[in-house]
Amino acid sequence: MKEPIISFKNFGFRYKEQKNPTLFDINLDIYPGEKILIIGASGSGKSTLCNCINGLIPFSYEGEITGSCTVNGIEPRSASIFKLSNYVGTVLQDSDAQFVGLSVGEDIAFAMENDMIPRADMLPVIERNAKMVGMQDFIDKVPFELSGGQKQKVAIAGVFGNDVEILIFDEPLAALDPQMGMTAVELIDDISKESGKTVVIVEHRLEDVLHRPVDRIVLMSEGRIVADMEPDELLKSSLLKECGIREPLYITAMKYAGCSLEGNRNLCDLPSLEFTDDNEKKLREFFTMSREPVKENENETVVSFKNVTYSYSGDRNELDDITFEIKKGERVAIIGKNGAGKSTAAKLLCGIIRPASGTIELEGQDIKNMSVKEIGERVGYVMQDPNQMIVKDIIKEEVGLALSIRGVQKETAESQIAKVLEICGLYKMRNWPVDAISYGQKKRVTVASMMALEPDVFILDEPTAGQDYRSYTEIMKFVNTLNKEYGKTILFITHDMHLAIENTDRAIVFADGNMIAADKVFTVLADEEIIKRASLKQTSLYNLAVKLGLDPESTIQHFIEYERSVKENE
Amino acid sequence: MNNKLVINYTPGPTFLHKLTGFTKVFSFLMMTVAIICTYDIRLLIPLLIINIFEIISMKPDYKPIVIMFAITFVTVTLIGNIMLFVVSPNVGLNNIGAENIIWHSTGRLYLSKEFLWYMLVVFIKRTASFASVIAFALATTPSEFASGLNKVGLPYKVCTIVSLAYRTIPDIANDFINIRNSMMMRGVELSKKASLWKRLKNTVLILVPLIFTAFGKVGSIANAMDLRGYGKNKKRTWYAEREPSKGDMVIRALSVVLGLLALYYIIRYRIIDPWPAKMWCPWVKYEDVIQINQIDTIFFMKWFKK
Repeated sequence: MKEPIISFKNFGFRYKEQKNPTLFDINLDIYPGEKILIIGASGSGKSTLCNCINGLIPFSYEGEITGSCTVNGIEPRSASIFKLSNYVGTVLQDSDAQFVGLSVGEDIAFAMENDMIPRADMLPVIERNAKMVGMQDFIDKVPFELSGGQKQKVAIAGVFGNDVEILIFDEPLAALDPQMGMTAVELIDDISKESGKTVVIVEHRLEDVLHRPVDRIVLMSEGRIVADMEPDELLKSSLLKECGIREPLYITAMKYAGCSLEGNRNLCDLPSLEFTDDNEKKLREFFTMSREPVKENENETVVSFKNVTYSYSGDRNELDDITFEIKKGERVAIIGKNGAGKSTAAKLLCGIIRPASGTIELEGQDIKNMSVKEIGERVGYVMQDPNQMIVKDIIKEEVGLALSIRGVQKETAESQIAKVLEICGLYKMRNWPVDAISYGQKKRVTVASMMALEPDVFILDEPTAGQDYRSYTEIMKFVNTLNKEYGKTILFITHDMHLAIENTDRAIVFADGNMIAADKVFTVLADEEIIKRASLKQTSLYNLAVKLGLDPESTIQHFIEYERSVKENE
Repeated sequence: MNNKLVINYTPGPTFLHKLTGFTKVFSFLMMTVAIICTYDIRLLIPLLIINIFEIISMKPDYKPIVIMFAITFVTVTLIGNIMLFVVSPNVGLNNIGAENIIWHSTGRLYLSKEFLWYMLVVFIKRTASFASVIAFALATTPSEFASGLNKVGLPYKVCTIVSLAYRTIPDIANDFINIRNSMMMRGVELSKKASLWKRLKNTVLILVPLIFTAFGKVGSIANAMDLRGYGKNKKRTWYAEREPSKGDMVIRALSVVLGLLALYYIIRYRIIDPWPAKMWCPWVKYEDVIQINQIDTIFFMKWFKK
């Protein structure tokens, strides 16, 4: 029997500032060469656990440790973080913040610089590590020219500079678009196979990580390890749902079809999954059931782009001849990878930038002569990070800001604020300081502060980025209420395919400044060509349909409709 | 982004760009010492010319440089000299030691030839320092700046602050634009329509989320650095500090010569055989000097001479 490289025994940890421990009774052994996924909702303690391995606890975060933890034979609490950094390499969640160098080469060299390795000895290592992650042609590039995925690759090459034994990835997918996320999962897998190093991945996006196999999954909830088992076993259990983790879409589909999860081989890997005969029959029946035709939205048009072209520098069109219409009360996903033009389109609609040619209309009115302030009364733009929007200390004041700027009478403003807070479910918290509320609630505050002006259209920029399933569900439920009960038109700028499938009617897809599709979500997601051009990731429903020899479009459509009817009855 | 801020993030292709960080910082220091130590136009003009040649050799985008020069020219030189003329028209006498009045108005206002000479010298001196700073900024990437500072003896933790600051400037600029846009949509007026006071007040509103966003990142950056062993040893090496080439050696040697020249100049003309006034002026002879500046070093040096 091999000795574990990481071993927790009755381990517990309490942060100095907190009353109650964050981790309890942790017993976990990780063996050399293993690839482990630690999964759990936000606040489950999964990141705290990995900070105990890399030494940030107790080096940067003080607190009380109980029980024992050994990493490569050393106790982190008695060794320094520097000693641990010789054995443990950590790739952090924020790929931008951890890029401390001013070029790719310099960032990869950072650990070696601190080790006082002469420059001449660094160069071959930098070259080797950059090659390993596929960044060898970018050595002199500055961080501002790189995408999130590229920065992350550099971070991986950077921790390899230490030639470590253990690699920890803290939420590696949080900041990446689907395609990049997939590449990252593949890269991590290749590295773990080739180098034989121990790999610990901390994530809550189960389906994306399972794109490549892992040896074991450790499920955490409320500071405890709830499960430590093989992926197949975990998928069969009901633990995922209980702990606020989203199960893979194809598993949900199997459950909807009434399949038993027992007896299927390779349940965690769709391409090699072998259904039992009974299940295959059930799935076929489920997806070929007849259903009612989709109702067309026949409301009047609220937003229309007619031949809109925009160019920033003059030599390249950032948006090229874009034409589309959005009907009142629609929920539309605007998708495409970073730089494809989706943010530019949103900025044009808000009047922050103006088109070079073409017209943009809001409820039939050309916005050419409207000021940003005037457009702001019709279109509410909600930024990705609520912390970048909130300027006042008290929720009520934040929501009333736009009204007080416009000199609205006090009584009118008060009643308007009360109404908006009521709609957004924040009325009880109206006098709370903004610091005291959760991320999801802050998001609500930012939506509420836009609502104060009663716009008809909302643009939500990546509303669920970096959020776990629970927070995601909370935010989307709220947004859907705005849509259903108050008839607001909602535009999502996103690359979250789950969001598009579950919460939108139509998708507008951008690639390289062109609009390549504007159609029903299931039609778009079933089109392999579009998926590829927009750097999206094929959903597992598509792969399931192909595996069963069914038509992907109608399979996805069927799933969406079934799921919505389930959600409505909940 | 590069041109707007006159910050070079990637090393350029010319000879000066290719020098190492140490060479650049060291020669910049020597140049600064030489410019600071003298008010002698016979030395300042060659220094100015050297720096202008350096700038030209790097083939930069002149637009931001000209704008910056214009701004400093208007604020410092034009406005500053008018103020000086009103407040103390006798700076010529104080610094040069003689006075030839060419125009006398009522009261205390008058213009002397020496005042004009003083203006010229100070302008040349300022322009030479401006040119040397621009030449240095154009030639040096922030990483080279940091490694160069460390090589000339600054503690490396201070140097890292320099490079980290440069690292975050574009990010903060980006955040600022995003936050400003969202504030504008809520009706916060930041355009010229609002009064200056109101705009100022509104800009402060933007700073709140901007500062919080920036501070939020500090923790992650610190963790990332700790995890990769930053601060482990008393010294560190620098990827940005390349191995010196022959060109580096030549420039370093020339810089030493420049420093020695400056030193020689101070010893020869300010101590051993000092010119009695602060500034040399072509039409003022040794015996013409009637007044010396009481706070000038030479005034004290005469005690040592005899």
